Amino acid sequence: MAAANGSSELYSEMEVDAFRRLFPLRYHEQHLLKSVRTDARKLGSARDTTLALGAVASADGSALAKIGSTTMLAAIKMEVMTPTVECPDEGSIAIEFHMPPICSPLVRPGRPAEAASVISKQLSDTILSSGMIDLKELCLVGGKAAWMAYLDIYCLDADGSLFDAALLSAVAAFSHLNIPVVSLNEDGRIVLVSEDNVQLKLEKQPVNSEKRKLKLKSPPFSLTCLLHKNYILADPTAEEESIMETVVTVVLDSSYQLVSLYKPGGPVLAHTSVIQDCVALARRRMKELHSVLNEAISDMEVD
Amino acid sequence: MASKTGSTPATYSPSPATHKKKRIPIADVDWVRPDSRGFYQCRPAYLRTGAVSPAAGSAYAEFGNTKVIVSVFGPRESKKAMMYSDTGRLNCDVSYTTFATPNRGKGSDKKELSSMLHKALEGAIILESFPKTCVDVFALVLESGGSDLPVVISCASLALADAGILLYDLVASVSVSCVGKNLVIDPVSEEESYSDGSLMITCMPSRNQVTQLIVDGEWSTPKIHDAMKLCLGACSKLGEVMRSCLKDVVTDLKE
Repeated sequence: MAAANGSSELYSEMEVDAFRRLFPLRYHEQHLLKSVRTDARKLGSARDTTLALGAVASADGSALAKIGSTTMLAAIKMEVMTPTVECPDEGSIAIEFHMPPICSPLVRPGRPAEAASVISKQLSDTILSSGMIDLKELCLVGGKAAWMAYLDIYCLDADGSLFDAALLSAVAAFSHLNIPVVSLNEDGRIVLVSEDNVQLKLEKQPVNSEKRKLKLKSPPFSLTCLLHKNYILADPTAEEESIMETVVTVVLDSSYQLVSLYKPGGPVLAHTSVIQDCVALARRRMKELHSVLNEAISDMEVD
Repeated sequence: MASKTGSTPATYSPSPATHKKKRIPIADVDWVRPDSRGFYQCRPAYLRTGAVSPAAGSAYAEFGNTKVIVSVFGPRESKKAMMYSDTGRLNCDVSYTTFATPNRGKGSDKKELSSMLHKALEGAIILESFPKTCVDVFALVLESGGSDLPVVISCASLALADAGILLYDLVASVSVSCVGKNLVIDPVSEEESYSDGSLMITCMPSRNQVTQLIVDGEWSTPKIHDAMKLCLGACSKLGEVMRSCLKDVVTDLKE
């Protein structure tokens, strides 16, 4: 800081771009003093969010979510498994979050990013504990066969608030999921009922003709906030996240119940009032995200 | 809950992948391609640059169901400790998403595709323009719908141009499959699976130079001749499409 103060004359005539690179924290703080962000957003507002369902034709359910330029592609593939002895009438969900090297200059091939496994764990904890999906719905034949839903989320462009975008794409992929119609063959294996199969072997009854869509009970949505001094910045970009390090992620379900809250360390110790403010922002964001999801679903139905 | 997902039980896909789909009657001269294209007709190409914001350059390509994103980073310091070099280095990596193929894959790196991509691009890049540094070309196949490698190569050269890396020319790549008596250009996965031979040409259309030629399977000399002609023609057309895609971005910026 001493050096920066001493060179006040120097940076008064410095170009904005150079100043931004040399003194990133000061650059951001000068904006924050005027209650505005470097991308002209207000402190508490999130970036534009778009959602497209059915982006991947080879998957059973898929969605592409964009928050600002952060882009997530989620796809679900359904496979059949033998349920565990403890829960013979339940299916299972396996969630994995990937950060391929295309998404950010910091990720190199061969070495999976540390953030990826952290977000992967957070996502599966959040989705499984929110009770959004009743695992009993994934059962096909009690004790014999059940669905295993493989949900893979790929980060295509990492520009901050990765968890929020990943959760949004995951929820959207589940709402787009069309469970394939299957039947039980002579060997006790589950096989797909394709169109020509139907005509050939009508005696085989599909096991799940009535259960094509999952019921989603109050889906969860999240908002990540960045804490810096007394400021709370909603939905930070990658640049903001790299300069100011303390984040709080609040996950609420659609009935405004708190699903989870993460504050993974960081230099700023949050007061309870700050956490409450974050939750309030998340409540507002939840409404926005819910309408984005509903719009995407109704767009899909029109097509 | 977490423990249940931690140890994933053995699963299988319900779609019948083991017994092959009925072969198309290739003896017929006039069978119809799965997407009812003409034999010498390429899939419509959708190309867009600037798909990934933190990358130096990037491009998205969609040829039918084949969807690919390529990001270019650098020139930057090479992460591998290597000897001093007067010329720049090119580092390529191709990976697939787990849902790219009909049956869920591992989503691992494709070493052989990475090396083919490297060899296809190497000749087109002016490596002397960035000594001591490394340019990384990373490709992710979002969905595999056939002719993946040619699409990756064309998309990568577009991304390199978007990144401002000096090139001798854009690199366009097209493949042809030989199915029975017929040659089919830009084959989809289904056609690739029952083809008798395949040929892929990667070339720099405006210089008329070929950077890579791969011939697999059973071919007769006149057929190879026809296939090469067909590919080169398609490459020059694809080159024009790529060029116009780059020009569109510039004119959009000016307006």
